[in-house]
Order: sequence, then C-alpha cells, then structure tokens
Amino acid sequence: MPYRLEVALKPELFDAEGDGVRRKAKDYFGYDLSDVRVIHVVTIDAVLSPDQLETIRNEIFTNPVTQISSFTPLPLAFDWAIWVGYRPGVRDNPGSTAVEAIEDVLGIRFEQDQAVYTSKRYCLRGAAGLGEKDVVKIAAELLANDIIQQWRIYPKETWEPDTGTGIIIPKVVLDHTPTVTTIPISSDQILKKISNERNLALNPHDIPTIRSYFLDKDVRAARSAVGLSDPTDVELEYISQARSDHCNHNTFHGRFLYRDTSSNTEEIIDDLFKTCIEAPTLILKEKKPWVISVLWDNAGVGRFNDNHYYVITGETHNSPSNIEAYGGAITGIVGVYRDPLGTGKGSKLIMGSYGYCVGPRDYNGPLKPRLHPRRLLDGVIEGVRDGGNKSGIPTPFGQVLFHPGYMGKCLVFVTAVGLMPAQVKGEPAEQKKTSAGDLVVMCGGRVGKDGIHGVTASSEVFSESTPAGHVQIGDPYTQKKMHDFLLEARDEGLIRFITDNGGGGLSSSVGESARFSNGCEIHLEKVPLKYQGLDQWEIWVSESQERMTVAVHPKDLDRFLELSRKHAVESTVIGKYTDSGKLHIKYHGKTCAYVDMDLLKSGFPQWKFEAEWRSAENRGLTEPVLAEPSDFNQLFLDVLSRPNICSKEWICRQYDHEVQGTSVIKPLVGAQRDVPSDGIVLRPVLNSHRGIAFSQALLPFYSAIDAYHMTTCTVDEAVRRLVAVGADFEHIGGVDNFCWPSIQYDSKVNPDGKFKAAQLVRSCKALRDICLAYEIPLLSGKDSMYVDGHLYGLYGETHKVSALETLQFSAISVIPDVNKCVTLESKVAGDLIYIMGLTRNELGASEYYDMLGYVGLNVPEVKTHEFVDLYRTLSHAIQQELAASVHGVYRGGLGVHLAYIAMGGNLGMEICLDLVPCEGLDRNDTVLFSESAGRFIVTIDPQNRSLFEETFSAIPHAQIGTVTDSPDFIINGLDGQTIVSIPVQELKNAWKRPFGDLI
Amino acid sequence: MTDVRVLVLTGFGLNCDYETAYAFELAGAKAERVHINSLIDGSANPDDYQIMVFIGGFSWGDDHGAGVIQAIRMKTRLGERLLGFVEKGNLILGICNGFQVLVNLGLLPGFEGDYRSRSVALTFNDCGNFRDDWITLKTNPSCPCVFTRDLDQFELPVRHGEGKFYAEQSTIDRLFQQNQVAAMYAMPDGSPANQVFPYNPNGSIYDIAGICDTTGRIFGLMPHPEAFNHLTNHPDWTRIKEKMKRQGLKLDNKGPTPGIRMLQNGVDFIRQTL
Repeated sequence: MPYRLEVALKPELFDAEGDGVRRKAKDYFGYDLSDVRVIHVVTIDAVLSPDQLETIRNEIFTNPVTQISSFTPLPLAFDWAIWVGYRPGVRDNPGSTAVEAIEDVLGIRFEQDQAVYTSKRYCLRGAAGLGEKDVVKIAAELLANDIIQQWRIYPKETWEPDTGTGIIIPKVVLDHTPTVTTIPISSDQILKKISNERNLALNPHDIPTIRSYFLDKDVRAARSAVGLSDPTDVELEYISQARSDHCNHNTFHGRFLYRDTSSNTEEIIDDLFKTCIEAPTLILKEKKPWVISVLWDNAGVGRFNDNHYYVITGETHNSPSNIEAYGGAITGIVGVYRDPLGTGKGSKLIMGSYGYCVGPRDYNGPLKPRLHPRRLLDGVIEGVRDGGNKSGIPTPFGQVLFHPGYMGKCLVFVTAVGLMPAQVKGEPAEQKKTSAGDLVVMCGGRVGKDGIHGVTASSEVFSESTPAGHVQIGDPYTQKKMHDFLLEARDEGLIRFITDNGGGGLSSSVGESARFSNGCEIHLEKVPLKYQGLDQWEIWVSESQERMTVAVHPKDLDRFLELSRKHAVESTVIGKYTDSGKLHIKYHGKTCAYVDMDLLKSGFPQWKFEAEWRSAENRGLTEPVLAEPSDFNQLFLDVLSRPNICSKEWICRQYDHEVQGTSVIKPLVGAQRDVPSDGIVLRPVLNSHRGIAFSQALLPFYSAIDAYHMTTCTVDEAVRRLVAVGADFEHIGGVDNFCWPSIQYDSKVNPDGKFKAAQLVRSCKALRDICLAYEIPLLSGKDSMYVDGHLYGLYGETHKVSALETLQFSAISVIPDVNKCVTLESKVAGDLIYIMGLTRNELGASEYYDMLGYVGLNVPEVKTHEFVDLYRTLSHAIQQELAASVHGVYRGGLGVHLAYIAMGGNLGMEICLDLVPCEGLDRNDTVLFSESAGRFIVTIDPQNRSLFEETFSAIPHAQIGTVTDSPDFIINGLDGQTIVSIPVQELKNAWKRPFGDLI
Repeated sequence: MTDVRVLVLTGFGLNCDYETAYAFELAGAKAERVHINSLIDGSANPDDYQIMVFIGGFSWGDDHGAGVIQAIRMKTRLGERLLGFVEKGNLILGICNGFQVLVNLGLLPGFEGDYRSRSVALTFNDCGNFRDDWITLKTNPSCPCVFTRDLDQFELPVRHGEGKFYAEQSTIDRLFQQNQVAAMYAMPDGSPANQVFPYNPNGSIYDIAGICDTTGRIFGLMPHPEAFNHLTNHPDWTRIKEKMKRQGLKLDNKGPTPGIRMLQNGVDFIRQTL
C-alpha cells in the first residue's frame, strides 16, 4: 500500500522557499500573504513495514536538526493549502533519487511497478479576503503549470486533518499492446490525411516522393522478403523526423527567389546554408590551421593548444520553453551539453551560456500569452540554473532581451563549450565512425512517451492545439553520471562513435550514425523503457532525455559495460551496425522497418521561397523630427533604467560561473563586482596560462530597419566583446543561431512572408560578408524558424505575434596568456579616457529612439575594412599591456557605456563631447546615444600616452576625458557646457532600480 | 620525501573533482580522483591515502537535502572504514556539498568523538536562491583546525543554495566554547558580517562558514578553496595588477593563493606525521 510522508522545516526556522512564493505572489498579482510554508510530500508506492518506514523517515527524509515529518498530515496552520504534484509520466527527479536512497538504506530493490513520487503542499496564510478565485490564480499561474502538473486547493474550513490531501499516485498505466500499424498509400490525399491525423507533419511536397519509394517494384520485392508491404508507422515516423525542418534544415537548404523591389533586380539563391555559411567557412578553414573539424559533427572543433581542442555549439529550446518555461529551459541546457559530449569521440563540458528573449516583464496589455512574460522568464532562468549548476558546468555569460514580439513565442538560446584531448589512444579525437559489426549501445536514461513529436512540433507555429506531450524536464543528475562515465570510456579508447539522442531520439541518432557503416539492425524490444505499453514507433522516436548512442566494438563491450556499472549508468546493446545499405528495425524478431539508408538523400524536393525586399526608405521609414532635449540628467538616468539596459545581476548570481576553478574574467566585474563584462575568459587547462574567451551578442532591434545590418552589427558586437577582454583577433570562431518568424508566404496567415524571407536572405548574405571580412569560420550553427504565436486579445479574437528577425551570434577565441586580460572598469583616477573609432549619425532603431517611440532610419552600419585595423591594433596594444581598461560601445551608445566604466570603477569621470571624433554630428543626443559599431572606450595610464597614440596614429581615436577621484560623472556638451552631472552612485541606483530587488 | 596522498571522491553528481585534485597537487600532494563506487567495491583502498576530500557538487541531485543521500551511501557501505580512516589520524576535508555530507554523516561536529550523530545542519539560504559570489572569511586563531592555520582573513567564492549553518543554541554554544568554529563570514574589513547579506551570503547563524571536529582534523566549509587556485580567479585581479603596475610591481602568480595555502596546511600537517 502507498504511504504519504510530509516533511517541513521546523516552525522556528525561516522558510526561504515559502517566502519566495510569498514574494512572487506579491510581485505577480499584488497579493499580500503574511506567510507561506512549504511541505514536501513523498509518496511511496511500495510495500514497507512500519519499522522500514520509520527508518527511511529518520535516515533519509528528515533532518533532525531542521525538519519535522509525519506519515499523517503535518498540522501546519493555513488559510488555504495548495497541493501541487506532477502529472503521470512527467520526469520526477527527486522521486528517482528517493528510490535509490531507500534501496540503499533498507537493502531492498523496488519492483518495476513500485515508485516514489514527490509533490508539495503550500500553506498560505494572511491576505485577508483572499477568495477561491485568488487561490486558484496562485495555484495555476504561479505554482503549477497544468501541462506537467496537477494541483488541488483546500480551504481551512473543509480540511480533513487526518487524511489531508489523500494519497495521489501519478502512475503511468498504459493498458496497451505495442502494435505496428501499416499505413495505406493508395493516394497522396490518403497519406496526407493520415499524416494530419497522426500528427506526422509530413511536408505535402514530400508525400509523392515517399509514395513513389514505397510503390517502387524493387523496393516492394525487397520488403516483402522481410514481411512488409506498405510503409509502417515506424518508417513514416522515421522519415517525418528526418525530413523535419528541425533536423533537415529545409528552410536554409531552400531555393530562394530574391527580388529587390527598389532596384528591380532578381536573384536566385540556391541553398542559403551552402552559399552563405558552408562556402565561406570552407574558404576560411584553408586559411586558419586552427580549424579542426566543422560542418558535419554535433559541434565544431578548434585548436586550443597542441594537446587540446575546444568544441562549441549552440541550440534553442523555444517551443517547449514557451509552454513550460522551467522544463523547457532545463531540457534545453542539459540537451545542448550532449552535443559536445557527442562530438568527435567525446568532449568534457567546460561552460555554457544563455540568451532569453521574452515579452516585457511588466506587460499588462490585452494579449494573453500562455505564460505571462514575467513568469516565463522566472521559469526559464530557474531551468537553466538547475540544469547548469547541477551539471557542474559554469554558466558565465548570457543575454536577456525584452520585446513584445517575443510574446508569441519566446526564445531560449543555450550554448555549450567543451574540451577534448587532441588524441585518444593515439587516434585523432575529433574523428569517429561506425563500422559493420560495431554494437549500437544506448546509454543513460530510459525511454518513455515524453518528447514524442518534439521535433515536428518545434517546426510549427505555436497554437492552442500544439500537443503538450513533448514538454520534458531535463535530469542533470543522470546526465552528469553519464558524462563522467563516457569520458572515462573515451580515455580508454572504447568509443568508436558517439552522438546524442536529442530531437528525433533513436530515429535520428541511429539513423545518422548508421550512415557511416551504411546500415544497421536494431532490436527495439531491447530498449529499456520507463513503463510498458509503448508502440514500436514511439520507442523509435521518443525524445526521452539524457541518452547517448555509442558504437562499441564487440571486444570492448565488457569493459564498456563494467565502467557503465561503476558510474551507475544504464547501458544496453540494442543492435549492431551493418553495411547492408538498410535501416532494419525489428521487434521480437519481426521486422517493423526496412528502408534504404540513402532514401533520405534521394529525390526529396527542395523547399522554395519567394523573397521580396523593400528597402527601409521604400517602406516609408524616416528619421523622426526631434529637437534636442534640455534635461540630459533625467534622460540619462531614464536610459540607464530601461529594461534592456539595466542591471540583471540577479540572473548572473544564481548561475555558478566558476565551478571547475577556471574563471579568469567573470560575468560581473568592477570594484563592486556588479557590472557585466564584455566577454568572459576561462583557463580550461588548469596548468596552462592559455585562455578561452567567449562572448555573444543579440541586436534584433535593427531588423526593424534591415536584417542585413542587424546581422553585421550583431557579429561586430560579439567580436568587439572578445577583443575588449584581450582575445586574439586572428583566431575567432563563430556560432550563428537564427530565430526567425515563418517565411513561407500565405496571403491569409503569413501575408508578409516574402518580406521576412528577404530579411533572412539579407541576413545570411550579411553573415557571409562579415565572416569573410573578419575571417570568422562558422564552427557551428542552428536555425529555429516559426517564431510566431497566435494570442487571444480582449474580445476573444486572436492576434498573430511574430518575433523580430533574430540572430544570436557567439564568438570564441584563444588567449595566449590570461595574465594579460583586461576588464572594462576604470582603474585609477587620473587615467586618460580614449574613444577609438568614429561616431556617426546612426540612431536608427537605437535604444534612445525606442525610448522616445521611434524607429528611425539610420541604422548602424559595419565598415569592416575600417574596423579591422582598429581591432588588430587594439589586440596588439592589450598584449603590450598599454590599456588599463577596455570596453566596447554597444546598445545605448557612448553615454551608457561611459557610465558602465564609471560604475565599474566606482570612480568619477569628466568627458568633453566636442572631442569625440564624429562624422558630421552637431547634437549632443546623437553623439551620446548613436549606436555606431566599431567603437571602444579605453582608459590608459597617462605615462603610456605617447606610445598609445603612436600605436593608433592611423586610426580615428581621441582622448575625450579623464578618470577622476570625484564622485561625479560629468559630461560637457558640444558647446562646452556641462549637460550631465550625476554622482556615479546615483547612476548605479538608477541602473539597478528595475530588477534590483530580485535575488 | 614521501608523497602525501589525497583521495578526491567523485561520481553521483559531484563536480569539483578536477580542480580539487589540481589544487591539492599545487599544494604539494599527490591527488587522485576516486569514484565512490571504487571505494565501496574495494578497488580503491582508503588506507592508501592520508587526506580524503568530500568535494562540491550536487550528489544525487541534492534532492532530499544537500548531501543527505551521499551520507547514507557512505554510511551504509563504508561506515567502519570511514571511521577507521579518521582514527588513524588522517585528515578529512568537506567543501560545500562535501561539508553538507560531513554534517549528515555526523563526522562533524564530532563532539566527544561521536562521529555518528547529526546535530548541525546546512539548510536553504535565507535569500531563497543559489548564489555565486566571493565572500570574506575570518578564521579563529584559537581553533584547532589544521587547514585554517595562520590564514587570518581572505576571500573565497561561495556557490550554493543550501549553505545556511543552523543548530540549536546549546550546540552553537558548545561549538564556540570548544573553538570548533574555524571560519566565519566577515565584512571586507574583517569585522563580523553580523548576518548582513551578501557578506553573509546565506543567513548562517553567527556567520558560521566552516567548522571542524574537536581534533581539528576534520574540517568542513561552504566556500571553495580549490576555486581560488590562481590569482586570476580573484574578482579584483585586473584592478590589483593595474595598481601594482603603477608602483612598478608585477602581479606575482608564483606564490600560493589563500585557497592553496589552506590545502597546503593539510598537506604539511600530514607530511610532519609521516
């Protein structure tokens, strides 16, 4: 019989978790609860004796110093209680570790159908007049997400003190016999209909190709020999996964007819990926001997030193996070960590980073997103926190960006960097292949119904009917054990091939790895399941997390499994690689899939897009008619407290950014350690002084004018962020991560699709241009389309909300000696402040214009040839230790970034705007807030003046002021009059005000 | 000179193994990463080591109280061997999650040689969240702790969600009477943090950051000495370097950091007994 144990902190102890709920109830809804306490409920579905129960209560679940517990409801006072638990089949990590602990303490083994489930009971007090409606709101919109959780509320009056919540067991019971279904393909219409019914998401253009394959005489003959006729559901699911935009990148491989309406020219771009990403990267690979492996594996590989390579890739997890923020984000970060682990013969993870794009945190307009942006952001932050921290991987960098366009679908970027030895047992570590005879081993978690159709769902626009089943909760604990195990197995030379099970599950990982050997034979009944009753196709495509697929030579199997046991990781042989040319799947000996390995390579039609560009002028954009402000002090403070400018320290601090002991430049720097650094630097090989520098940028605002310049400015910013901390400009690797609204034109549902397609074409061209100019090979990349959502408004109508065309760009570099790195803050009073680079009339889509309600026209443009000289010279000057501080000028412009330097140093400064090298500027606001690219602010020791100026003699630069020991931040305008005079502390107060209370 | 051998426990979600082993090597020891299961199945023998380190991380996901399940595993599978290791005069260091394990095992506070009772706890931070920040520590010169000798005041990073030290008042009194409180959170000037956030990052009562047993040979602390293994780990290093440059001085990366000195204290102690 099941037992329910309730555990709570002793009443005299402060309940920080409960208090967090109290704070959020106030923050989200304005409720003034006086007190919230949390009871942790452990429901044990197993047969145990009273003695055994008492033992585990005392030994495992109750800390005698801090906690109380009881198998009857704890008598905590409340006005309302809310119980929240998982729905059946949702990953319950604490439930699993509880089983391990109980088995340990009692020396027993749980049966297959026995389990432990965890849940929580929240005891709410105070808030006079809090009615049922309010409590429901707290339950549904703060504590529980009904996609993954169930909840119940109990008023004080009807609470039964003896039975409490009762015993709730979210056990999955599938009374189902696994069945393979054959799908009729007598006509395109029938297959299309079945595709829709079964949520196969087959592309209509693919359907004739699929049918002609399965109708082919030779194919049918071969199939009938193994007992098959029409395609099975296993086969069509396999094709659907592999052909999805998520896996196959059909959009980027598409054929674009690009028409520029202003110049009336037309151009065909056949395959954006090949022309704009692959081609320049291959050119640069020849020039840059440090590029080790690109364009084929789970992540790109660059040389760190003679003995080590670094590995980098990026991902997004937008659709799942949009409906279950915590689960989506933790699954995203834990998932991207499997990419470096599955690159070459395997890499150790050394860092991760994040990027969140959400609606305004204080949104109170009429649209009704599934999760309010505030709640969504909180959940996403916490998901990446737990995923990163519990993986033991530092999370030292990231961005947060607010814009209403992300209310349709949020963006959650996750990036991972790993490190591999150059060689494993004398073999190149970056290479891998499967060979006929190698065993297919699945390692890590078990397979359940979770994540089924995740890939195809993320290739769709979000709507109310999006199946919720693909939301998962990542399990960093299971994955960490697997990570440690696989690295040990790698070092012993036991891994021939490794890849992760992410999107598409076994279907993708086995399907792709079998291409090397040219075939495989899989026995699906051997795949370990979380619970019985899954259909064969579900086992094949389930995206249950924390799994890797490994090719192991039969002679190495015993040792591989021995190491697996040592690390308490489940590994199972599920088949073998062959050279038969066939993907052959069986279930208890009976064939359920038999398709040619090269099926996916042959005959599928390329996607086609019409792209129609209208320039900003032709779209009617102009510069605003705006006279210069008179109150610069207030203006300045208001800019600093803008959501996209202000301090987000609370996020950085909840991320472990220095585990592994490698931290050199942290995410927050300065005298008070609270100003965000340009980039971060790690010393990943502890006994070496070489460093890895990493940075990212996101500037989607500029897409409102032209995605070409959005792209070049984004890459330029990421590069400057690296140069600013001391990176080597000659060695910069990039990772592009595109998130775009749907670009397929449809007169009804996507009337501006052609324009968005043109924006994508322009963005890709820009990426090619700037990567060639800056010599940045694209080590890895990712695209996520369909960043649109349909949201209900006030009157029951729905609105399509599309994101800004967004590119997150990650840049990575190697630093020869970390002791030469610099940080942004001013260091010593009396130092000279220089600006490097020209300031132009480029306020288009700037923070300043946005604050005043304008878009404008003059978007910043990247002058690559002009900038390259500056970047090279500055890299050199930092190596010569000429600079005391270096900081790029980014979003918000010169004024904001001077403030960063002053706030970082906690020192005053005096600046004269008339000294700023400009191109035709005559207004203080333009000089202060223009977002021209290619600029840095550098402070130097006055003793270095002549050497510094000589070094930069050929480059536009000027001394514009000095660091002072006064408390004031002073800016003198173009006419010499002081226009800004504010104590640095007051700047900081304004900058911290919006989110300063969050922890 | 005989090697001082350090056993760094790994596995089951622990994650500071590489840098802890590296930091002990810098401190002059020979350090090995050993999986908990290797210790349990006998393929690694505690008798081969003189210092055992319970490292940071999230053992078993920290799901039922940080360090609880690791403590159970160690107690049920290794109990007597662990106590035997202590009785031999060896050292045990618990860092962060390791400190949490030591208090759940009862190795700390170890009143009157009772290494089995749980009488102190590390619970959820008062701030309600995980926090990564550098803090100032002040050590207690009267404390018998081997690791904190002559360190006085220094900075280390904290990175935890459950680091609030808590015990009943009588237990606290006893800890102070017996000088078992080895390190406390302090203001940057060395004065007591007096529970002021973020100087005391978690709300620990009496600002307690680390305690030892009555012999001073078992020590647990929340901050991470191994994460200060190089001067560039310190958040102010670029400022310190620039200011030294103005005085014609160079940043000295040769001498040990306070984090390494803490470990050296342990290594030196063993070396004297070998």
